[in-house]
Amino acid sequence: MTMNQQRREFLKKAGLGALAGLGAAAGLFPAFALEKTDPSSFTQKPTPGKVRWGMLIDTRKCKQNCTECIVRCHHDHNVPDLSGTKNEVKWIWKSGYEEAFPTASQQFQTDEVKHRKVLTLCNHCAEAPCTRACPTEATFKRWDGIVSMDYHRCIGCRFCMAACPYGSRSFNWEDPRPHVRELTAAYPTRMRGVVEKCNFCSERLVKGDLPACVDSCPEKALIFGDLNDPNSEIRRMLAANQTMQRKPELGTLPSLFYII
Amino acid sequence: MIEKALKGGRGYWTWVAILLAVIGLGVTAYARQMTLGLGVTGMGRDISWGVYIAQFTFLVGVAASAVMLVLPYYLHNQKAFSKIVIVGEFLAVSAALMCMLFILADMGRPDRVLNVLLHPSPHSMVFWDVLVLNGYLFLNLISGWAVLGAERKGVAPAPWVKWLIYLSIPWAFSIHTVTAFLFAGLPGRHLWLTAVLAPRFLASAFAAGTAILILLTFILKRVAKFDAGDEARTKLAVLGAYAGVANLFFLGTEFFTAFYSNVPAHMHSLQYLYFGLDGQGPLVPYMWFSLIAGIISVGILLSPPLRRKTGMLIAACIGLVVSIWIDKGVGLVIGGFNPTPFEAIVDYIPTFTEISVTLGIWAIGLLVLTMLLKVAITVKTQET
Amino acid sequence: MNKFSQILGAVAAGLAVFIAAWFFIHAGHGGSTSAHAEDPAVAAATVQPGGAPIDSSKCILPVEQMRSSHMQVLDKWRHDSVRDGNRVYVNPEGAHFEKSLNTCLGCHNNNPMFCFMCHQYADVKPTCWDCHLSPMEVPQ
Repeated sequence: MTMNQQRREFLKKAGLGALAGLGAAAGLFPAFALEKTDPSSFTQKPTPGKVRWGMLIDTRKCKQNCTECIVRCHHDHNVPDLSGTKNEVKWIWKSGYEEAFPTASQQFQTDEVKHRKVLTLCNHCAEAPCTRACPTEATFKRWDGIVSMDYHRCIGCRFCMAACPYGSRSFNWEDPRPHVRELTAAYPTRMRGVVEKCNFCSERLVKGDLPACVDSCPEKALIFGDLNDPNSEIRRMLAANQTMQRKPELGTLPSLFYII
Repeated sequence: MIEKALKGGRGYWTWVAILLAVIGLGVTAYARQMTLGLGVTGMGRDISWGVYIAQFTFLVGVAASAVMLVLPYYLHNQKAFSKIVIVGEFLAVSAALMCMLFILADMGRPDRVLNVLLHPSPHSMVFWDVLVLNGYLFLNLISGWAVLGAERKGVAPAPWVKWLIYLSIPWAFSIHTVTAFLFAGLPGRHLWLTAVLAPRFLASAFAAGTAILILLTFILKRVAKFDAGDEARTKLAVLGAYAGVANLFFLGTEFFTAFYSNVPAHMHSLQYLYFGLDGQGPLVPYMWFSLIAGIISVGILLSPPLRRKTGMLIAACIGLVVSIWIDKGVGLVIGGFNPTPFEAIVDYIPTFTEISVTLGIWAIGLLVLTMLLKVAITVKTQET
Repeated sequence: MNKFSQILGAVAAGLAVFIAAWFFIHAGHGGSTSAHAEDPAVAAATVQPGGAPIDSSKCILPVEQMRSSHMQVLDKWRHDSVRDGNRVYVNPEGAHFEKSLNTCLGCHNNNPMFCFMCHQYADVKPTCWDCHLSPMEVPQ
């Protein structure tokens, strides 16, 4: 354990202690362990449409009983654990091949493929039906192709959930905080009554890091990159492999691709 | 004029007291929902809309159906409707009010409702729906109130009222069209993704709305000695019958397109609703009851000797309203979410809290309608 | 458990940790109170984690201005960074800051004193902490 981690543990344990209002105590812990961004790495205002982040998921490499990416994502983003209830909230999870690709050809497919678990998350569609349905632009298309959520603005009407053909959106049916297993200080939680979903780790991208799921995959089954750059790794992989998108017939143009 | 709603007999005040008690129940339930979140309802991740949005959809139709009186009376000079045009307009006011309350009850953050106007988003159908619903409410309230006020003074209504009334006619069609577009523009929800949804909404609205109006005339005859007349009722019954025929026809075309084309996604929701999908069909009995009740009711309304019998007419109207309420208020929303994007069938059962809030909003609507009609009938019966 | 007893419990736990920390530090220095700077643990604690090149010793705007309009500043920052991707704030003196609540909390980490006391006095109830985790309320 490094000194910094120790200090973080210590601070976590001290937690609400400083609520006691002990001025002296505050002096003892001058710097809270908030991760900071290097502002030199970004420009004043990005050009919309220049970058389009996308992901390629190699389902052949993805280990069937591995949940590293899910655990890491849900921990880093303070996603509440309400699994198995109707109030479930999830950003990334595994679905059966047949359920994730219901309109893909299923006939005479091998059992292995039919029962293969594939990762599903927000598709960050280029033509996102959710952003079209949102009455307040609380969910909107960012300059870099990410379908983002403005939790301060969401009115909780759930039109985006009805509009999403991929079941990628979750609503906070109750206060999520008591259900977050271990709070991560670097990222906020959500409040009751707003919709949430995968943000493609925009908070990590701004620091030049890969998304948490990509970073945590022990099999390197997830490739992340700029779909608008013909020389990016993801574009080279897309050119070299037969890939699929979920429900392409709906014209949503997902930014997620799968190798089956 | 509003003071006329404060004078009434024992029956009137008993009815108001009952409504206030139900409103009290609704407010208590809503307080619970506000404290704990929408998790206290039966809605969840997969069935993310329920009774509230279903009531909203049904009631937009009821609101729109005022046009079934306004249009023949003001554009075609159908004098038979002179006594009850105001009933239609005030029914529209209370229905539009209930619609907005149901939307509010369904919102996760009702404290931010003004964001819809602060960040206007013309690409969202909700934005248009808020505009047209509010507009419709005020058009009917203002024109109805102005005409009634003029009648009380024994003068002709001001000329501008006529233009508001003319405007309310296309506006009535717009509210239900926009409501259909809320659903019909969403990819991946195949029960809703159909061009015939807006026409079908209008047809079912005009059928259920006229049936409710006919029932209202019977209630007013009984409790307020205010008779709209058999001629008005017959004309309404014919309008309702043909709207009901159109509704059944549109439903038939849905079945044809889905099952003849054999496209699985188009068939799934209808299979789930009417036959059961993967052995799960909790709504099958309700949907068949709705279909059969609808056919019988429309049959009665179409037949002159049958609809002339008061008992038959009342039964047919109740049958039509129940049929369309099940179709629009239960089947449409739950069927639209089943199967889910992951081809799963998920059950939805409204909770006690949810039903209490629903009853509370209905009671608010009925209270507003009761008071408005009390004013209207007092004015109309005093002058004669 | 009600809110009051939660706070009471937290206060008690915090006091205990504070006293323990006090003893720990004093034991480490053989009772000396003037040796903080030489202690590697304490020295490490004062280093900004992540080593961000942000000058966090300054305030972004004069105190008076912050007192009167910090809410507008935060709202503007939120809008700029979340919706437009414009994440750099340059103050009138030319210093650069990241538009993030964390920039404020990096120094003003004692938010019971820094935020809550004044909000309570002014009887305003901002909803920041419904989602944002204040440095002082990350539980164990």
